[in-house]
Amino acid sequence: MDKNRQMVEIWGDIVDIKSLIVSIVISSITTMGLYFLAPNGNQMMELFLGLAGAVLGFIISSIIIKPKRIIDFENQDTNK
Amino acid sequence: MDIGILTQMVLAALAAIFIYILIGFIPGTDETSVLMPITLTVVLSGVAPIVVLTFFIAAIVTLNLTNSIPTSLVGLPGGVMSSPMLEHSLFLKDKGLSAMVIKKMSVGALIGTIISIPIALILANFLAPYGAKLQEIGPLLFVLGAIFLSLIGSNKVLSLVSIIPMSILFMALRHLYWGIGLVPEDTNITTSFFLGITIGPLIVSLFNLLNKDIREGQLTKEKKKITIPDDSLDRSLNPLRILNKNEIKRASFAALISNFLFVLSPVGLTILIGEAVSNRIEDPVNRATTAITSMSALIQSTYISGIIIPLIAIGIPLSPTAVGPGGALFNAPPVFTIDNNLHHILSRKEFVVAILIGGVLASSITYIITNRFASRITTFVLKKIPHEAILALFISFILLLAYMDAGLINIFGVLLIGISCGTLNKLGVNYGIQFMALYAAPWIIEKLALF
Repeated sequence: MDKNRQMVEIWGDIVDIKSLIVSIVISSITTMGLYFLAPNGNQMMELFLGLAGAVLGFIISSIIIKPKRIIDFENQDTNK
Repeated sequence: MDIGILTQMVLAALAAIFIYILIGFIPGTDETSVLMPITLTVVLSGVAPIVVLTFFIAAIVTLNLTNSIPTSLVGLPGGVMSSPMLEHSLFLKDKGLSAMVIKKMSVGALIGTIISIPIALILANFLAPYGAKLQEIGPLLFVLGAIFLSLIGSNKVLSLVSIIPMSILFMALRHLYWGIGLVPEDTNITTSFFLGITIGPLIVSLFNLLNKDIREGQLTKEKKKITIPDDSLDRSLNPLRILNKNEIKRASFAALISNFLFVLSPVGLTILIGEAVSNRIEDPVNRATTAITSMSALIQSTYISGIIIPLIAIGIPLSPTAVGPGGALFNAPPVFTIDNNLHHILSRKEFVVAILIGGVLASSITYIITNRFASRITTFVLKKIPHEAILALFISFILLLAYMDAGLINIFGVLLIGISCGTLNKLGVNYGIQFMALYAAPWIIEKLALF
């Protein structure tokens, strides 16, 4: 892990500032990019493509950025 | 009602269930910001109004239950509504009881849904004759609502003082857009302002990071440590075997009384009633499970009554649920307006059919899925979905809706609202007050101008 990594806690979970900026840029571009592909004046298509763009950005960010979580599994006895 | 429409309703409910199961398991997703834009898309897509309602009911029932799951499994609240459960969930998780908690949550949700649908329908019927009158004095009710919520809030004085300045902010932006001819004068921009309020606290947190001193103070080296319990569940799905009699009684009672208080904040009611029905129990484990079961029922009942009663009886969004997540059902120009929305379009029978189809499908499917796959889905989400992507998703929702409402300038307008309202929010002026102020703003400004 590089030393320049700056991690902070926002909204209950840890994020890396640089990755956060990267994913905001990606999502903004995909959202507004697809939005502008919609035929002008068709509000339904604009909104639909825009949301599709937001989802696309979300998927891209999820692929290139690793969650900052350490996950353990434990065995538990349901009967306490 | 023909087969074509019925099929569309079932498909809409299934789509809502699928989408909101995925979203619900993602920790930290605010209900309003995930329900509103997608519902708005469904409304604008031009499907029949009854299909829109089915979609929305299925969406809230699904989301409310799935949001609770990460709370109990990993200690991260799935949304705003599940945060009251956090303390009890963590306590039971430490005892190694997460698997049982999830079952109790899902039965609680079932109880909440089953009780509040009929009660809300009856209450709505009872209130309907007064609906027209209430609608006439609607703006005044929003002002009273804002004052009332201020008085029961955590920072009473600041909340009261901030109502008028917030109204001025909202109306100032609207008048600016009218003045420069960006939107016609009869258009009240609401959707994007609304999301500006919702996203406010996040914007303030992000902007704080731009300040070097604050940022240095918040840096952390630790990743989030999360332990996922193994789901060696007992396979029983019979709700009566999962809860004891006492839990069923208390959860039912909690769900019942919350219906009558539909104008109050759902999260506030969940804390208030959920703690009230459980805090006298002596055994700590029993107390925590009763609190969780009741809260799970309350989350459903407050949302269901908060949307059904204003929709059927009044026609204006007079509850936090209606004004927030359900806003698009009341006002989504050009399809719905305050004078022509689901309230005016659907008959009483259509309301009942849509609510039942959405509610029954969502609660039964979600019940089975959460019981069977809770820990597998949670593991997948936590391993694959970075928090950065979630925050970026919200921000792109806002960009999109702000731009659609009034172009580039509105992106900055919404930013202004986010910074102002987010700061107030952090100081103790809660969402409910801010939403009420947004709806009351035209009336407040009109009256202020008389003096």
